[in-house]
Amino acid sequence: MNRFAEAAVARNPAAVQLLGLCPLLAVSNTVANALGLAIASTVVLTGSAVLVSTVRKLIPEDVRLPCFVLVIATFTTLVNLAMEAYAFDLYQRIALFVQIIVTNCMILARIEQVASKERLGRTLVDALGTSAGFAAAILILGAAREALTLGFPLAALPPGAFLVAGLLLAGVNAVGARTRRTPDGATARRRD
Amino acid sequence: MRPLLHNVAALAVLTLGAGAVLAWFADLTADEVARNRLEAKSRVLRELVALGAGDVTPWRAGQRLPDPTLTDAELVLCERDLAVLRVDGSGYGGGFRGAVALDLAGAIKGVRVLEHAETPGFGDILDSPSAWLDSFTTGDVHAVTGATITSEAVMAAVQRAVQSVRLEEMCAK
Repeated sequence: MNRFAEAAVARNPAAVQLLGLCPLLAVSNTVANALGLAIASTVVLTGSAVLVSTVRKLIPEDVRLPCFVLVIATFTTLVNLAMEAYAFDLYQRIALFVQIIVTNCMILARIEQVASKERLGRTLVDALGTSAGFAAAILILGAAREALTLGFPLAALPPGAFLVAGLLLAGVNAVGARTRRTPDGATARRRD
Repeated sequence: MRPLLHNVAALAVLTLGAGAVLAWFADLTADEVARNRLEAKSRVLRELVALGAGDVTPWRAGQRLPDPTLTDAELVLCERDLAVLRVDGSGYGGGFRGAVALDLAGAIKGVRVLEHAETPGFGDILDSPSAWLDSFTTGDVHAVTGATITSEAVMAAVQRAVQSVRLEEMCAK
């Protein structure tokens, strides 16, 4: 499996690593909101990863985390300003969750594990793959909730987010457990 | 000493760079952001005026609207059978500013908050559409559980604005 698919599917930030769940649950009430947050997260993650990878040899080991957070915060603020200036309706709906992208551990994890160690090309593929995985998760959840709202109004409300996300995660993990089974019997399928 | 200097230098360079980029971009978007914010306030005020006008005397496009910054007097609009008063107060997170629409008999036709600094989530009752803001028109308004300070502050501010105004005198001219 190549790096992109691995980052997007096998190590999907939302479905497998269960990272970034706060925005995933809060902003998936409509497809439009979900798409807005997916784009914002992609820009922040990719921009930060590329910048950190480029200057990785200049960042001292001791203060690497403050440096990473500073870079992520800068990109988040840029995206936030851009949305307020050029996509104000969307900004009014999801601004709070764009601002807290800075605390999204999915992004810090990719910077710490990949961007700070690997060359630019690999970093870029990993960042784009992770972003695609997050975008797929939030868009699927957003589409499911918006569709379910027609007959099941609770789906658009916060409890609906937990219910629909829980069912989707259960489904994804059931499929994942089946495909992960390897010839040698794969005991890792269940941990209960 | 060497690593310390290296750490300080790296953080200083990065912080200055980030600050410069953000200052440039904030300046670049400042006009657009200000325009959007003002437009959003105007939209809320138009909503308020339309509420007050009701079906009897529909508010026609092109008629005078309150200045969305609400910096003028307490009475921001007094036209036909509608008066719009400025509402100022201080909530949990800081000051807020809004407006209340009254008919000339003094009955509340609508309340809107244009800017506030309440905690996100808890302050959502101030953002239209809000069933709580609409409850002002029924005369039966209650503080909101979880947002007691916010809601009581708005109720007090609306009451202050409504009680202090002399509609007959101010709208007579």
